[in-house]
Amino acid sequence: MKFLLKQKEFSVLAIVVIISIILSFVSPVFLTVENWLDIIEGNAVIGILAIGMTLIIITSDIDVSVAALTTAVTVSIGYLFQFLPDSWISVVLIFLIAPLIGILLGSFNGLLVSKIKIPAIVVTLGTLNIFSGLVLYITNGNYINSTNFPDSFMAFSNIEIAGIPILIYLFALVAAGTWFILKYTLIGRSVLAIGGNAQSSVRVGINFEKVKMFVFSYMGFLAGIAAIAQTSYTSAIDPNGLAGLELTVIAAVVLGGANIHGGRGSIPGTLLGVLLLAIMQNGMILARIDTFWQNVVTGAIIVIAVSYDEINHRRNQEKLSNIDVKEAS
Amino acid sequence: MNMKLSKESVLGLIALGIFVGMGLFTPGFFSSSNLNNMMFQLPEFGLIALGMMVVIVTGGIDLSITYIAAFSGVGAALMMTNGFGILPAIVVGILFALACGAFNGTVVSKIGVPPILVTLGTMVLFEGVILAITSGNAISGFPDAYGLIGNGYYMGIIPVSLLIFIFFIILTAVLLNKSTWGRRVYMYGSNDIATMFSGVKNSKVLMKVYLYASLLAAVSAIIMTSRYNSVKVDLGSSYLLQSVAAAVLGGTDIHGGYGKVMGTIYAVLIFQFIRNGLNLMDVHSSLVDVVIGAILIIVLTLNFFSDKFSRRKAESSSEKTA
Amino acid sequence: MSDYILEMEHISKTFPGVKALDNVELKVKRGEVHALIGENGAGKSTLIKVLAGIHDADAGGKYLFEGEEADIHQPLDATLKGISIIYQDLSLFPNLSVAENIYIGRDSNKKPWKKINWKSMKDLAEKAMNELDMDIDLNKKVELLSIAQQQMIEIARALAFDSKLIVMDEPTSSLSSGEVEKLYKVIDTLKERGISVIFISHKLKELFRVSDRLTVLRDGQYVGTYGVNEINEQELIKLMVGREVVYERNTEKADIGEKMFEVNNFSKEGNFKDINFSLHKGEILAITGLVGSGRTELAQSIFGVNKADQGTIRLNGEDLTISSAEDAVKNGIAYIPEARQVQGLVLGQSVVNNMTLPVIDTLRNKFKLIDHNIEKNLTNQYIKSLDVRPSMPDMPADKLSGGNQQKVVIGKWLSAQPKLLIIDEPTNGIDIGAKTEIHKLLRRMVNEGIGVIMISSELPEVLSVSDRILVMSRGRIEGEMNTIDADQEKIMNIALDTEGEKDVGNSEVSDGKSHQEV
Repeated sequence: MKFLLKQKEFSVLAIVVIISIILSFVSPVFLTVENWLDIIEGNAVIGILAIGMTLIIITSDIDVSVAALTTAVTVSIGYLFQFLPDSWISVVLIFLIAPLIGILLGSFNGLLVSKIKIPAIVVTLGTLNIFSGLVLYITNGNYINSTNFPDSFMAFSNIEIAGIPILIYLFALVAAGTWFILKYTLIGRSVLAIGGNAQSSVRVGINFEKVKMFVFSYMGFLAGIAAIAQTSYTSAIDPNGLAGLELTVIAAVVLGGANIHGGRGSIPGTLLGVLLLAIMQNGMILARIDTFWQNVVTGAIIVIAVSYDEINHRRNQEKLSNIDVKEAS
Repeated sequence: MNMKLSKESVLGLIALGIFVGMGLFTPGFFSSSNLNNMMFQLPEFGLIALGMMVVIVTGGIDLSITYIAAFSGVGAALMMTNGFGILPAIVVGILFALACGAFNGTVVSKIGVPPILVTLGTMVLFEGVILAITSGNAISGFPDAYGLIGNGYYMGIIPVSLLIFIFFIILTAVLLNKSTWGRRVYMYGSNDIATMFSGVKNSKVLMKVYLYASLLAAVSAIIMTSRYNSVKVDLGSSYLLQSVAAAVLGGTDIHGGYGKVMGTIYAVLIFQFIRNGLNLMDVHSSLVDVVIGAILIIVLTLNFFSDKFSRRKAESSSEKTA
Repeated sequence: MSDYILEMEHISKTFPGVKALDNVELKVKRGEVHALIGENGAGKSTLIKVLAGIHDADAGGKYLFEGEEADIHQPLDATLKGISIIYQDLSLFPNLSVAENIYIGRDSNKKPWKKINWKSMKDLAEKAMNELDMDIDLNKKVELLSIAQQQMIEIARALAFDSKLIVMDEPTSSLSSGEVEKLYKVIDTLKERGISVIFISHKLKELFRVSDRLTVLRDGQYVGTYGVNEINEQELIKLMVGREVVYERNTEKADIGEKMFEVNNFSKEGNFKDINFSLHKGEILAITGLVGSGRTELAQSIFGVNKADQGTIRLNGEDLTISSAEDAVKNGIAYIPEARQVQGLVLGQSVVNNMTLPVIDTLRNKFKLIDHNIEKNLTNQYIKSLDVRPSMPDMPADKLSGGNQQKVVIGKWLSAQPKLLIIDEPTNGIDIGAKTEIHKLLRRMVNEGIGVIMISSELPEVLSVSDRILVMSRGRIEGEMNTIDADQEKIMNIALDTEGEKDVGNSEVSDGKSHQEV
C-alpha cells in the first residue's frame, strides 16, 4: 500500500479520516457498513467518470462534455432496450454496445484535440452543446422509465454479491483496471509522460497525438460504462439527470491531487477525492444541514484545496532552484 | 494599407450574411416585433460574453460568472423586496458582484491558482451561497419602474437595455484599446513573466480583470431581473458555456493575449440570429444548441486548415533561428 | 564495413525563403568524438534535426548510417537505429522515476498495450547506470535530481537503447567544473566501448580536450573537417567567423565619479550571502562567476522580483525599499534579463507595445487614455537611436533577430529613463556585429550618467567592456579588481573556488578565445 503514503494522497486521506470521525459523532448512522455501501454505490457514476477524467487532467487537458456524453449513451441504451429480448444476452450486448458508443463519441473529442489542435476546453464545450442538444431533441426532455427495460437488466441491477451491490464491483473493476493500465502498460506511462513534459515525449518517440486520442476515447469508454451504471442505479433514463455533473467530476479529480499543470494525478488519489465529496454530502444529510449549504462547503473545500496545492507547488519549485551558498567566507 | 480583411471583419460579414439569410428564408424574421425581441434579448447575453472575453484575454476563464450575475440579482432583489429604492438596490447588486470578483481575483492573482480551478470552486461556492439565502426559491415582485430597465424604451424606439449594452461595448473597447490597464491586459495575456520583469504589477491587472468581468455580470443581472421581474439561482446559467463559445468564436485566443470586443459582439449576434431564426422556423430549441456547438467546432476546424500553411511557414523559420 | 558510422553528404535544407543548410557534410567515424561547431545560425541545430529525423533534408542529399541508407523521418526512427540525441534542455520526464525515464520510448508506439515489467525495467536501468559508474536511486523522481545527474540519466538512456551514436548538444553549459570532468570521463568510457559521440559546444578549449575531429559550419555551409592536431584555436575561430575577431581589452582607466549605488549586507537563503558592493558614476561594473554562483539571483533581488531576506540598497544617497519590480522601476532601477524571449520581451506583441510597457502610464492624454502619437514617436525615437532593424514599430517582436530583440529590450528600459541599469548576459545569442554595437551602447549610457552593472560569464566581454569586476562564487563575492589589472586566469581562479583544483579550462566561464557565441 505504498502508493497511499505518497504525500498528496495521504493528506487527502487524512482529511477523509478526520471528517469521518467528526461525522461519526454527529450521526451514529454514518459509520455503519450500510451507509458506506450506500455512499459508494451512489457515487459509482461520478467515480467512474472521475477515473477517466484523471487521465485527461494528467495530460493537462480537460473534458467538460463527460456528463452530456454519458447521458447520450444512457439515452441510446434506453432506445436499445426496446429491441432487446429479455435475456442475459441483452445485458452482455449492452456491455458491448454502450462502451462502444462512448468510445465513438469520445474519440470525436480526441480527434479534434489531437489532430485539429483545438484546445480541449473549447472542443468539449462544443460537443457538450451538441450531445446534450441532440439528446434533448430526440427525447424531448422526457423521462424513460423502466417499463421497457428487459427484466434481465433489472435483475442484473439488483445483484448483490456478499451483500455488496453489483455497481460497486463494477466501479472497483474500473478503478483497478485503470490503475493497472496507468501503472503497467506503456500507454499508461505515456499518459504520465506527455503530462510531465510534452516536448520530451515527442523526442523519445511517444506519439503525442495517439496518446491524446487514447485518453479522450478512454474517457468515452468509461462514460459508456458509467451510463450503464447510471441506468441500473436509477432504473430510468433522465435526459437532464446528469446536467452539470462534469464539474463535480472535475472537482473530485482535482481534490484527489491531480494537477491541471499536467503530469500529476493517480487513481487512488481520485478515489479519495470522490470519497471526500461523497462523505461530505452524506454527512451533511445525516447532520440535517440544509442541502443548500452543501455547495458552500464543497465550493470552499475546492478553493482551499487548489490554493493549498498551488502554494505547496511554488514552495517546492523555489527549493529546487536553490544553490549551495558557501557558509564561511 | 493592408487590404486583407481582419478576422473580426470577416466575422462581421458572416453575421450580416446570416442576418440577411435568415430574413430571406424565415418568414417574420424581419418583422418589427421580432427585431424588437432580438434587441431585448441581446444585451444580457452580450454583457456576460464581453466579461468572459476580457478574462480569456488574460489566458484565464471565469466559470463562476453566471453565478456572480445571479448573486448580484439576488442582492438587488432582496433590497427591493425589503422596501429599499431602485438605486440602492442596484448599488447593492453591483457590490455583491464586485465582492465575488474580488474573491476570484484575490485567489487567482495573489495565490496564483489557475483560474479554471478557482472559478470552478467559486462557481459551486456562489451557487451554494445563493441557495442558502434564497432556499432555492425565486424572488420576485419588483417596483414597476425597475422593470423599465429591461423592458422600457428610450425615446419610444430603442430599448433601454440595448443602450446600456452599447455603452458597455464602447466602454470595454475603450478600456482595452486605449487605457493603460487594457494594454497591460493584452501584454499579461501574452507573457505574464515578461510583464512582471517590466515592472507591471500583475496582480493588480488581474484583480481589475475579475472585477470588471463581475461588473458586467452585475449589469447583465440587473437587465435580466428587470426583464423577468424575478430572480432565481439559475439566473443566466445557460449563458455560461455559450459566453465562452462566443468569445472563442469571436477570435479570442483561449491561451490569452488576443481578443477584440467587436469579434465577440459579432459572435454574440451570430448566436442571436441563429437562435432566433431557427426558433421562427419552429426548429426545436435543443437543436439550436447543436447548431451553435457545431458552428464553434466547424469554424475552428476551418481556421486550423487555413492557418496550417502559414503556421508551418512561421514554425520552420523559427526553428531555424532556434 | 565502412570506417564511418555516419555519412551525411550534400545535405541541404530549405525553409520557405531561407536556405538553412547548403550542401553540408558531416562524417563521423566509429568510436570517435566529433565536434560540430559554428556560430549561431550556422546550421548546427538544423543539421542535428535532420540527423534526428525531426526535419527531412531536401532531395539529393546522402544520409548513410552504418553504411546503409538511413531512412530516418521521425525521432523514433533515429532512436531505433541507435542514434540518441541529448538536447541542451534534456528530454526527461520530471514526474517519472529514474528507471522509467531510462526505459521510456521503447515500444511505446508500436505496442502501446505491452505490459511493463518493472523488474526488468529496473534491471535495464541498473545495468546502464553501472556502466556509467553512477549511483542514483532508480525509484527517485527525476525532478529531484541535479542537472548533472539528469544528464547522466539521458546518457544512461542512450546506453540502454544500445545507441551507436550519441549527440550531445552543449552538455556542459550548466554543469559545475567537477561535473564537467565527470562527463569527460563518461565520454571516454563511451569511446572505449566504440560508441561515437557528436559533441556541440561553445567552448573551444573544451572541444580540443574531448574531441578527435571537428567539423565547422558557417552560414549554413560546410567549411571543413579537421583533426584536433591539425588546427589551433585561432585558426578555428577564423574558420568559424570567416575573419579574425577579438575583443579589445579595456586598457583605459575610467573617469570615475562619486558613489551612486550601494548594496549592503544583502542576503537571501539559498541564493547569496553577505553581499556588499558599490557602483560609481562613470564606470561599468561587471559581475562575473559561474552559472549558479548567484549572480542572476542577486541582480533579480536588487530588481525586486526575487526579494532578498535582508540588506539595504542606496541609490543616489537614498535608501530604497524594493519588494517588487514595480518598486524598482519607480525608483529608477532597470533590469535586462538573460532569458530575453521569456522574461525580457512579450514576443507575440508589437515593438511599440514592448518598448512602452514600463512607461505606458506616462504616455496618457488628458482623458487618461494612451496617446498613440506620443507612443509611436517615442518608439520611433529609440528605434532610430538604437538602429533597430527593420524599423517597423508595429512588427511583432518575435519576428526580429536576437540582436534586434535585445535592442528593443534596451530601448524599453531607456524609455523609462533609469538611473541604474543591470544587464544580464547582454550579448547572449547575438551575432558578433550586434554584440559590439550593444557594448558601445552600454558605454554610451554610462557617459549619459546612467549607472550600468553588467553580468556576464564571457570573460573577454567582461575584460573588454567593464571598468571594474566583481567575481562571485557559491553565492558570495569572492573577488574584486580593476579591469586594467585583471586577466582571465585571475578571475577564473576566484570563480572556480579552487581549493587545489587547477583545471581552469574546464569551467563554463569561457576562456580567452572562445568568446565567439558558437
